[in-house]
Amino acid sequence: MNLTLLGPELVLVLGGLALLLVDLAVPAARRHLLGYATAGGVALLCLYFVANHGAGGAAARAFGGMFVLDGVASFFKAIFLLSGVVVLLLAADSSPRLGGGITEYYALVLFALAGMCLAASANDFSVMYVALELITVTFYVLTSFERSRAASLEAGVKYLILGALSSGFLVYGIALAFGASGTMSFDELAKHSPELASNRLFQLGVLMIFGGLSFKIAVFPFQVWAPDVYEGAPVPTTAFLAIGSKAAGVVLLVRLFGFAVPDLALHWEPLWMTVAGVSILYGSLCAIPQRGLRRLLGYSSIANGGFVMVALSTMSKAGSAAVLFYLAGYLFTVLAAFLVVGVLVHRVGKDDFSVLAGLHHRSPLLAAVLAASMISLAGVPPLAGFFGKFVVLRAVVEQGAASHAYFWLAAVAIVGVVISFWYYFGVIRAMYWGGDAPDLTPIPISPTLRGAMILCLGGILCLGVFPSAIWEAAVAAVAGLGI
Amino acid sequence: MESILFLIFAAFALGCGLMTVANPFSRSPVASALFLVLTMVWLAGLFVLLHAYFIAAVQILVYAGAVMVLFLFVIMLLDLREEELRTWNRFGVAAGVFSVVALLGVTALTILRSVPAAGAAPQLEGSTHALGAMLFRQYLLPFEGVSIVLLVAMIGVILLSKRESK
Repeated sequence: MNLTLLGPELVLVLGGLALLLVDLAVPAARRHLLGYATAGGVALLCLYFVANHGAGGAAARAFGGMFVLDGVASFFKAIFLLSGVVVLLLAADSSPRLGGGITEYYALVLFALAGMCLAASANDFSVMYVALELITVTFYVLTSFERSRAASLEAGVKYLILGALSSGFLVYGIALAFGASGTMSFDELAKHSPELASNRLFQLGVLMIFGGLSFKIAVFPFQVWAPDVYEGAPVPTTAFLAIGSKAAGVVLLVRLFGFAVPDLALHWEPLWMTVAGVSILYGSLCAIPQRGLRRLLGYSSIANGGFVMVALSTMSKAGSAAVLFYLAGYLFTVLAAFLVVGVLVHRVGKDDFSVLAGLHHRSPLLAAVLAASMISLAGVPPLAGFFGKFVVLRAVVEQGAASHAYFWLAAVAIVGVVISFWYYFGVIRAMYWGGDAPDLTPIPISPTLRGAMILCLGGILCLGVFPSAIWEAAVAAVAGLGI
Repeated sequence: MESILFLIFAAFALGCGLMTVANPFSRSPVASALFLVLTMVWLAGLFVLLHAYFIAAVQILVYAGAVMVLFLFVIMLLDLREEELRTWNRFGVAAGVFSVVALLGVTALTILRSVPAAGAAPQLEGSTHALGAMLFRQYLLPFEGVSIVLLVAMIGVILLSKRESK
């Protein structure tokens, strides 16, 4: 038993418990400082983890093989911890808006992070389910946290109902897969993968598990909740949903189909392609008429989920490395966007296109960060989003030799990118050429958020201009995959 | 002896179940809930007859204890009046009849198809001892994970139901 492998999870859970206790001794006026302290702690944990496990290395197992720490798990844990830092900073900045119980908000973020780290290392259906429930149950609370605001409660109820439905799919799928295979361990499943791939009952079970996971990633056919929940939830929660929760679903898909049942995944190429293509077109087309940034980012997250599925549909090592790189770029891009949205919602009160007019006069930094984020989401060189989309499309075109359907998928993805130019550049046009601004008072930004924005901006630029370090880390991380 | 006990337990379980949904004396939801508790207790007796002591204990502790107390709390907090006679919903009746017939059909089919086992009855697995060993050895990690899920749910319920102080 090697308990040190569970370091991040243990530290996060203990930290969450400690926060709940420390809260009692801190006066209400100074509780937002706990948020900054927590963010600092998570940042230290992230640095420590990357320094010790960033290089990947051989897969290490604990708890009888239920828990595995390998390249993929380390890569995703770094993503989760980094997103946790920015989410905590944003939450500490918006503490007056979140109302009473702000310390519980930080503690819940830590518990959700622990769940995500556990999901990255889950090597057994039971651990996978518990980790996912930990994430989902925490998000039910985080989504409806602004309980005096009807929109937040509405978002919470919608997320709760659809989340419960998807959990039902997941559990039923696990039960069927267990009934057909007699094991819940991914290592055991991998040994019998060729026989299981032709077992109808097992196929049905895995299909239902995929349904449950696609809710987390917000891809077709479980995407309907995304825009409403993104709009209604508190902004730090939305930012966390957009990257943390999505990446948790993705890492489980990679784990399940890359390690446990690769033979089944190879049979299901048409399914992956359909899910990917429909998600991209749905997200891109529905984003066009949106006038609010959060709704727009909600639809954009569906389209981006589609891009992740495009890379997964290749079921190759290049495709999986592309997934990892794409998410690393998406992390900085989407967090930058939500930092701006957070400032707008808290200081101006809304995130309509109407408040974007004249933003570059009111706060040049906000305008620059949002513009960089939109350009990166659109996939224009030389930013992170461009290189992410480039490696995804390259992996798909490489697979085109095996099946011509991949060329069609690449074509659909490119159509989605072209449509997305319309609404991403609509945001930029509204900021810089939005006509007369009704209000030109400067928007104040706290120094910590300024630092977080510059960090994200740096990440977007670095991943676009010098992608090789992260790309090589992604390639090394997926070296152990069975596909 | 066992079959006599079985008949007693089964008859009382059925009777209490009937009183839960179709009580001729009272239409109070509290009375229904209390009869549901009694049904659970008689069911626990049936589990004891099957030598499933753990399930019997859980049945009493969790269902008759925790879940039903929660039911009663909700009923009393919501201050439900005596239930009024509902109008029949045609779709509801059709769905109910369909589910009952389908369930009976599946059960009957399974019983008819099954071959009566020869020899001694197989020993029931899942004793309390084996279950505990499994939970705290093989499945320790998910077990501890569930405890955090419960903690999060508890924090969430308190937070969301608490009135804002300001």
